[in-house]
Amino acid sequence: MLLHLLVLAPFVAAILMVATSKEDPKSSSRLAFLFALAFFGMSIANIAAGNQATEAYEWFRIPGAKGPVYYYLYSHGLGAWMVLLSTGLSLVALITARNTTCKNYRNFAIGIFALMGAMNGTFLAADAVLFFFFFEAMVIPAAILIAGFGGKDRAKAAMTFAIYTLVGSAPMMVALWYLISQADSSLLLSLAIALQNMPEGAQTAILVSFLLAFMVKTPIFPFHGWQAISYSEAPAPLSAILTGAMSKAGVFGFIAWILPIFPMNMSIVTVMMWLGLVTAVYGALMALRATDAKKLLAFSSMGHLGLAVAGVFSLSEAMLPAVLVLLVAHGISAGAQFLLMGIAERMTGTRELDKLGGLARVTPVFGSLFGFVAILALAIPGTAGFVGEFTVLLSLWDMGPVPALVAGLCIILSAAYMLRFVQKVIFGEQKCEVAGTRMTALEGSSIGIMGVLLLVFGMHPAFITNALHLFDEQAIETMAKLAGEKPAAGAEGEEVAPSSIPGVEAEVDENVADVAVPMTEEDFRQLDSNLAANGFSEEERANLIAQLKAMNAEDSAETAAEAPAAVEGGNK
Amino acid sequence: MELQAMYVQILALVIFAIGLIVAVSRRNVFFVLMGVELALNAVNLSFVGFAKTLPADLSAAGQIVPLFTIAVAAAEACVGLAMVIMIFRNRESVDADTFTNLKG
Amino acid sequence: MTNLPLWFIPLFPLIGCIVLGAIALISSGEKKGPSEGFVGALSVLFPALAFVSVVLLSFNMPEGGIRSTLCNWIDIPMFKVDIGFLFDGLSRIMLLFVTGIGTLIALYSNGYMHGDRGFARFFAYINLFLFSMIVLVLSDSLLLTFLGWEGVGLCSYLLIGFWNHDINNCKAANKAFIVNRVGDIGFLLGMLVLCTLGGSNILNYDALNAFINMIMGAGNVEIVVPILSIAGLCFFIGCTGKSAQIPLLTWLPDAMAGPTPVSALIHAATMVTSGVYLLARLSTMFVQIPLILDIITWVGLLTAFWAAVAGLFQNDIKKVLAYSTISQLGYMFMAAGVAAFDASIFHVFTHAFFKAALFLGAGAVIHSLAGEQDMRKMGGLLKKTPVTACVMIFAFLAIIGFPGFAGFWSKDLILERLYMSGPMGPFFYAAGLLTAVITAVYMGRLIVLTFFGSYRGSKESEEHIHEAPACMLFPMVVLAFGAIFAGYFWADSMGIKFFEESLAPVVGAAQAVLHHSEAHVSAGVFAGLGTLAALLGMGIAWAKYGKARIPAAKGSSAPQGKMATWTFFWDYVHGVVITVVNAIAWVVDNCVDKLVQFAQWLVGGIAEILGDGAASFQVRKVRLQIALSIAGVAALVIVVLLTGGLI
Repeated sequence: MLLHLLVLAPFVAAILMVATSKEDPKSSSRLAFLFALAFFGMSIANIAAGNQATEAYEWFRIPGAKGPVYYYLYSHGLGAWMVLLSTGLSLVALITARNTTCKNYRNFAIGIFALMGAMNGTFLAADAVLFFFFFEAMVIPAAILIAGFGGKDRAKAAMTFAIYTLVGSAPMMVALWYLISQADSSLLLSLAIALQNMPEGAQTAILVSFLLAFMVKTPIFPFHGWQAISYSEAPAPLSAILTGAMSKAGVFGFIAWILPIFPMNMSIVTVMMWLGLVTAVYGALMALRATDAKKLLAFSSMGHLGLAVAGVFSLSEAMLPAVLVLLVAHGISAGAQFLLMGIAERMTGTRELDKLGGLARVTPVFGSLFGFVAILALAIPGTAGFVGEFTVLLSLWDMGPVPALVAGLCIILSAAYMLRFVQKVIFGEQKCEVAGTRMTALEGSSIGIMGVLLLVFGMHPAFITNALHLFDEQAIETMAKLAGEKPAAGAEGEEVAPSSIPGVEAEVDENVADVAVPMTEEDFRQLDSNLAANGFSEEERANLIAQLKAMNAEDSAETAAEAPAAVEGGNK
Repeated sequence: MELQAMYVQILALVIFAIGLIVAVSRRNVFFVLMGVELALNAVNLSFVGFAKTLPADLSAAGQIVPLFTIAVAAAEACVGLAMVIMIFRNRESVDADTFTNLKG
Repeated sequence: MTNLPLWFIPLFPLIGCIVLGAIALISSGEKKGPSEGFVGALSVLFPALAFVSVVLLSFNMPEGGIRSTLCNWIDIPMFKVDIGFLFDGLSRIMLLFVTGIGTLIALYSNGYMHGDRGFARFFAYINLFLFSMIVLVLSDSLLLTFLGWEGVGLCSYLLIGFWNHDINNCKAANKAFIVNRVGDIGFLLGMLVLCTLGGSNILNYDALNAFINMIMGAGNVEIVVPILSIAGLCFFIGCTGKSAQIPLLTWLPDAMAGPTPVSALIHAATMVTSGVYLLARLSTMFVQIPLILDIITWVGLLTAFWAAVAGLFQNDIKKVLAYSTISQLGYMFMAAGVAAFDASIFHVFTHAFFKAALFLGAGAVIHSLAGEQDMRKMGGLLKKTPVTACVMIFAFLAIIGFPGFAGFWSKDLILERLYMSGPMGPFFYAAGLLTAVITAVYMGRLIVLTFFGSYRGSKESEEHIHEAPACMLFPMVVLAFGAIFAGYFWADSMGIKFFEESLAPVVGAAQAVLHHSEAHVSAGVFAGLGTLAALLGMGIAWAKYGKARIPAAKGSSAPQGKMATWTFFWDYVHGVVITVVNAIAWVVDNCVDKLVQFAQWLVGGIAEILGDGAASFQVRKVRLQIALSIAGVAALVIVVLLTGGLI
């Protein structure tokens, strides 16, 4: 019920908002707060409720597909937190937008609610087609909002944004259609099975088209062309949602759809990790040179998300919680920064870094808040950003020292551009008149709460990481049933790794790694030297490796035996 | 004397052809619209004609369909006329050849 | 009596920070600031409470220290770290002077910051700093130390840029933070290296020591030492950033842009010594990697010498002290490099007193001259501000190592240990002694220029010169006493070894690993040579500056010509790095980004051309289009009829 409400109710709210007065922002804003607050509460309840799924309703059949498309929602820790980001940022955005987009507040709220519903759908969908539907649907309200409420270049920005992201996911649509024409249904499990029976070339082509869509959405270098202009031209509250929640859909796609479905081979993993790192460095360098405050923030979030993607493709055991903490931290801090920048723009009427300055003296409370949030964005230990960045660094270190060094460089650069940003905006001589509406108490306190949340998560990240169980037994069983499999075979064969490895969330990744890289001789040699470094004796090492080899052989035999079984199941 | 189904079809074809030719050859938008209507009605006639050839219990269905078509055609004519009037207001012309917006 | 919980110590400054921060925030909108008396009382109360709890704990501390694990911090697969505190001999000493001097300087600041608009904000930062510093020295794991480590860096940033309407202060603050960040990444990577070696548990100090002892006991030295060396190097890079050693030292002189009490507390007494603390804390690890220890000694030596010479060229009174701080830190690193961790901590301890006294004295001088910092415009202040002058002269005697004063005991100890450190020992000793002479010269110059001769400033400013208020004088006098007597905790030649014994449980075992041959030189010779160096330096300073006419100050107080080259050598080196980064950023912005945009434009252009091509099928006449489409439909129908359907 909660999941249905989270996905569908925002659309209902958007329709109900039509009934409010267009002329009177006060009344419409009250209703909007009420709705947004309710959704925010629901998303918290959703996290508290843990993993849950709805019934799978048959929705429609796509011509050429074997099975039906389900309306099937499933909430796991990752999705639930992303939903929290989307509802929470929407709430704060609606609060700050009241003074920014006075005239047409009602229409703005309608757009935000539609966007929120689409985002929630993206993060909660358990069916690939449903996911894709919402993934595309997000673009439309966002583009309309940019076109309607943006800055000077809004038409161009909205156009670039819409075309870029829609074209980016077009290959994914084709690939998805092909995939479901082979699979029994469009659920995760059957997609994964169908993919394994395909020739390698087809697998790679599908993988690349999926990757492309998510890379455009995140965005990852060199597909970032839409980002700077959209974020800077969009109204600040919308930019906050776009960077804080919507761009997470890309990273979410990598984790929740690509990693479980596709067997990863090492070359793609390495390429993706390096692309992520290049994005991180690129974003940081561009942010160093940016002269537009919102562009600076846009590049800064690009850098952080690049780091997150690099972390995802480090595929280490610590990856999932690390990336989740990083995403949540970035969502909150980047969102807060965009909102604050929006308020600064409202007060001064400019977002040129060279024309701003001295706001700390004119509006001390705003200045303190601005500095506070910027410091939180610096990933000082004790903030959630630090926990995220450090643990991502840790998983990158698993891949080798060079990626970790590059990530370290990004952290240094991020300090450089963030401090420059703070200095230009709030310190120094005052260069411009403060004419617009100042920050209200409600805005200030809501952004302040976001900052405090970052501190809380930084000192106790278990709030976030404890919620993480990507696929629990029950969901897998349901999926297996829908896929026409015997539940037992599905549960054991595809998703759940040997019971010797504790922790459900680790299992998925372990399994991916297993499928992808059967251990080679070289791996064994490396393992041997590692063990030696840790002071194991000759005999123990030989013993351990022999055991591992036996397990390895067993595993590959199992996979080979199961592949035909899966086909049989499909044919029934 | 029983009306031959074939004649009805021939009549429908003739009307349809007239409608088509009018729609294509006249430059006045109103005539184009009237031509389209004529073609539509020819199709209705053809429906009824074919329905006559069936046994009585099945023939009813064939005779009902034109009723729907007429209703839809009425709505369509409304929209079409409205569009034509709008175009006329903007362009001050009913000459179909001056409408070249689509060319880009 | 049962002991206080350890978390009481950081708790007080944290509460202070929150309360004062709230006061600052609430009152920031009003015309008139909050009552200074009230804020001032709070600002001294919380550090004082922390100091009291440290003292209470110190008396009841068992031999092995107190350990308490508070709660879990990060708990994910591969990485589990707890928040825990460790109170042992090392952290006791650090905490005692951190909270003690912190309290004194909070009191001093009440006078110094009088009438400033950001009064409450200043003390909120000071309390936050104390909290971070306490966490840094009290934590029982590297990760929590890192929290304090970056926390103090952050406070340093906030306080250097405290007067943020001047853009130069902000730039100095940014520089401090970014240079520190470079070092911090070294620290981070060091932790990661250790994690690969033994998992996340190893970040705990006790576990790390146990691990290293176990490995060394098992004799697996060849395998582990390279990895440990890399880790050690990374941590040392972290230390060079925080403690302003070559090559990351340029930020400290610039950091003097902050209020003087801040310079005294953060950039002289406490924060900059945290690098030395970390070396001592990780002593078990460092003694296993002699290569890194050699690097540390050399870096310390070069820094000490370079900064001492640079100190000769400065005209700004605070800059002299800044370079002197860097030089003294170089001494501490030299000592740590020859595995004399207790001696280096002892120097940290004595240095905290006399350097804080010097800075507070300089602050009082600047205060009495209404903000003048150029020594060329001072002179003859001995008669006008006698108390300040006495304090500074005592501290001066301490820093140059005049017999009987604090610096004498600690510097002497370091030089002695350097001499005994092996084949290179005599060279290190000679270099240390030379640096000591230079120290005496530039410090003598400072004292001569400031307090002797006649006043060189303008007439009207002379009338306003006044002695500082009592709340500023009291801390100075206390610190001056410290500068005289702090050395007697470890007066080796008098047989007092209290300090060494209290540190022995922490670093004793480690120091025993690198056992140096006992030199057959009596302590008296060292003491005599040290005294001679101090006297020589003083003599040179008096001869050169005592009677000489000082050229009138022109323009800025920055050194010119060759002096500038020497002073700003490392700034140039940093400048090169920054230029390279900026150049890369320029290339990224103007080449790579343009390339990406060009690719987009290309795709867009191709799409547009294709679209235009397709649009040419749109003939002008609507009627013709209708005819064509009808023909198309007809053609389709015919095809379907002829082929009997498409499928």
